[in-house]
Amino acid sequence: MISKTFLKETKELLREGRVRIAFVVVILLLGVSVWISARQYENVNQQYEIAKTAERAIWDNQGEKNPHSAAHYGTYAFKPKYPLSLVDQGVDKYAGSSIFLEAHNRNEAQFSAATDQTGLARFGDLTPDFILLFIIPLFIILLGYNSFTKEREMGTLTLLKSQGISSWKWMLGKWAALFLPIFCITALLFLIAGFLLNGLENFGVFSWSSLFTLFLVYIAYYIVFTNLVLLISAKTKKSGISLVISLCVWIIACLAAPKAASNIAETKHPYPTRQEFAANVLKDRREGVDGHNPWSKEAKLLEVRVLQEYGVDSLHQLPFNFDAYRMQKGEEHEAEVYLKHYNHLKNQYSKQTQVYRGLAAISPYLPTRFLSMSIAHTDYATHWDFADAAEDYRVATQKFLNDNFAENSNYGDWGYRADASFWKSLPIFEYDPPELDFILSENFSNILILAFWIASSFGLLILFTKTI
Amino acid sequence: MFSYNFKYELKLLLRSRWIQLLSIILLLLFGFSTFNGLQKVEKRKKDIRAAYVEVQENDEKMLKLLDSVERGMEVSVPRWTIPTSPMAVGNYHPRVAAMEPQSMAFIATGQADLFTHYVKPKVSGNDFAMNFAEMTSPVQLLFGSFDLAFVIIYLLPLLIIAFSYDILSAERESGSLRLLAAQPIKIHTWVLQKLGLRFFWLTLLVVCSLTLVFLVTGLNPLGQLGVFFGLLLLTLGYMLFWFSLAFLVNLGVGNSARNAVMLLGLWVAFVLLAPSLLNQMGNTLYPMPSRTLMINEMRNLKAEVTERQDEILDNFLRDHPEYAINDTTQFRGFYHRYMASQRLIKEELSPIVDAYEAQLKERQDWVDQFKWISPAVIVQESLNQMAGTSTQDYENFRKQVVRFAVGWREHFMPFLYNNKNFTQEDYPQLPKFQYETKAYASFATVPILFLISVGLFTIGFLFSGKTKKGELLTSS
Repeated sequence: MISKTFLKETKELLREGRVRIAFVVVILLLGVSVWISARQYENVNQQYEIAKTAERAIWDNQGEKNPHSAAHYGTYAFKPKYPLSLVDQGVDKYAGSSIFLEAHNRNEAQFSAATDQTGLARFGDLTPDFILLFIIPLFIILLGYNSFTKEREMGTLTLLKSQGISSWKWMLGKWAALFLPIFCITALLFLIAGFLLNGLENFGVFSWSSLFTLFLVYIAYYIVFTNLVLLISAKTKKSGISLVISLCVWIIACLAAPKAASNIAETKHPYPTRQEFAANVLKDRREGVDGHNPWSKEAKLLEVRVLQEYGVDSLHQLPFNFDAYRMQKGEEHEAEVYLKHYNHLKNQYSKQTQVYRGLAAISPYLPTRFLSMSIAHTDYATHWDFADAAEDYRVATQKFLNDNFAENSNYGDWGYRADASFWKSLPIFEYDPPELDFILSENFSNILILAFWIASSFGLLILFTKTI
Repeated sequence: MFSYNFKYELKLLLRSRWIQLLSIILLLLFGFSTFNGLQKVEKRKKDIRAAYVEVQENDEKMLKLLDSVERGMEVSVPRWTIPTSPMAVGNYHPRVAAMEPQSMAFIATGQADLFTHYVKPKVSGNDFAMNFAEMTSPVQLLFGSFDLAFVIIYLLPLLIIAFSYDILSAERESGSLRLLAAQPIKIHTWVLQKLGLRFFWLTLLVVCSLTLVFLVTGLNPLGQLGVFFGLLLLTLGYMLFWFSLAFLVNLGVGNSARNAVMLLGLWVAFVLLAPSLLNQMGNTLYPMPSRTLMINEMRNLKAEVTERQDEILDNFLRDHPEYAINDTTQFRGFYHRYMASQRLIKEELSPIVDAYEAQLKERQDWVDQFKWISPAVIVQESLNQMAGTSTQDYENFRKQVVRFAVGWREHFMPFLYNNKNFTQEDYPQLPKFQYETKAYASFATVPILFLISVGLFTIGFLFSGKTKKGELLTSS
């Protein structure tokens, strides 16, 4: 019975013109979007490689210089693009891609692509994630809205009932017929993406297991939509009404809920403005050691403490350059202040995340979106992780430079120049994004919500098709 | 016939509870989105106010310090922040350059969540490195905002589709088309009348609920009559466009579901696909030069400039003797060299920076040419312009700030190169920033939108004139 229903439904779908057209359109869109993303990916990574090597060369060839001048001169950390961004671009467009690492200051990532685009960019891009998250659910609605209603409208329902059909088998046949084409399109896309990525050079951290997990996430998302569409079709009397209701569900889940969530999250847990943030940091920085200010109260206290510790009575007698030592202490204080303020930001964001999770109850789109971005390394958490790694590197670099300054010169000797070959000994900035296991454990609640959606929609579907 | 139609349509709409349902939905959507927009504007105003207050407090401290120093007293602040040094004033006491929200800012978030609304330019640092991006969670930028523009551009067409997809097909499906065919009226005239009536009722509901929402949230629509009518006309033009599409699809007379699918396809094409396709093509045709490579170039230049600082300063003073006209001390410190080299860096980098501006402008021009392929794009742009949150508005702000930053720097140059102290008397002469609003909104788009819709109606009329009532009844 299941297979018969399945065959009949599939044949019917294949015969219908609208399905064929829509199918071609979806495939075409997917093709175009994958092609655009692949090109963009190659382009960005090429620039990334050039910029990275060029920046390192600039750093290495500074010549003789005071280490602290070099610290002010600074260096850049560039964020690479990850292979799975081919499937989901996530927030990459809105997050900057280069961070300036200098003495005393933690800088934000600069130059996000969105700031260089016209207002049109806010409509969204033609990327695979747009097709996967918005268009394919619409396609499911298009294929399935009349699945049950047509039986009523054509009068075949009575015939079917007289056959003594088991309703769950009937439903399962319809379910399979609706789900199979979606499954095929998605599988095809992911296979193409996989082979494309495998073929690209420098594909870095690409792993088939991540791609497969991503595939599973989308399949789960489509299962939820398939269930919802069939459920609505089973409970309404007319095809037109079924279509309109399914569509309402789509609008609320994919368009309205995310936007409303973003508004509520911002009002409830706002970020400071950039200027406010800078002013708050400055206020806290003033309360500790400033490397450039030997006259401040904190600097004097530090002086006394160090003199006591080493049992000497003048800074000149210390075995290291106290200027550099103070510089390092100031650096540590500043790093602490930044850590505090960035933690506040993170805190605000984790509260915002709660709002998103809450609204996931009315939108299967939200958990899917977050899971997909995380697995693709294009989410906000990965951006934070990168920024934190860059900050750790900055702090380590400052220590590296200040230590050289402290060990190789005497107190008051600002004319000291480090050797031209010294700069090369600074370790290179390396960043590895979080592993899949870690991402999945971090996103456990999203997985749970999605699983709940699947379970409850299946349950309702079975419950309601019984009484059709 | 028209009066009958009018009466029965109203009865029908009331009995099927369409009017009641639509009023509630519209009120909710308009209310929620206006509320969201107002909250954003309120936060923006509050932030700017706080920034001004902070500067004022700092200024009072600065004046006190100046007073103490001028009287020869000891002060307990780091040496280089004492405001007698002009560079200290220029760096540690910057002015606020703010962009106050315009009166209709709440209708469209536009680029407001992406860009900052106030900066404080300092004398040191590069103008082009000034960060105009606001500190927003990128997730929020990705999802966008539930504002009035979203309701109008995305949701209103869907309401129209739900309201009008089955005008003719429902008659056939319920069997009343045959009765109708017996009436002395042409089918397309009848569809047009029916759609016209629905347009009329929806217009009435939209206007009333918008006005009501504005009044309840404490906005006086009569206060800004021009902009309010602009908003209404634009919305009506956009609605008319969707009604004209509904007219065409209805005349095609498939069954109800097929009509709905067709209209939805159009909605996806116009609202979702066309804009993103246009954006993508703009990006591909006019690619931005890489920002990461720009950083490389800037760094190389800086490295080179740092090595020749003394030479640069000499050249600079030779070229600009006016700056050091009253200098008797001939003292040259860090800032003398720094400011001269900064100037050089700026001059040499300006072609690169200009390349970005030029490319962005070309892209914008290209988009302007092709925006007519989707009314959604036109309406989005017009709403952003009305709200003063369009890309052009922020570009305008950016340019004014850069101009102000140059003025701010120039103001301190004579102090620096003449080695002249900053005093209390100099305080009132400090430059102040005043944002000049430029109105980008043009109402030319509204008549064009109406023309497009009328054109579509005419097409429908011409083509359906050939269909006979008999065909309608028999075709499936």
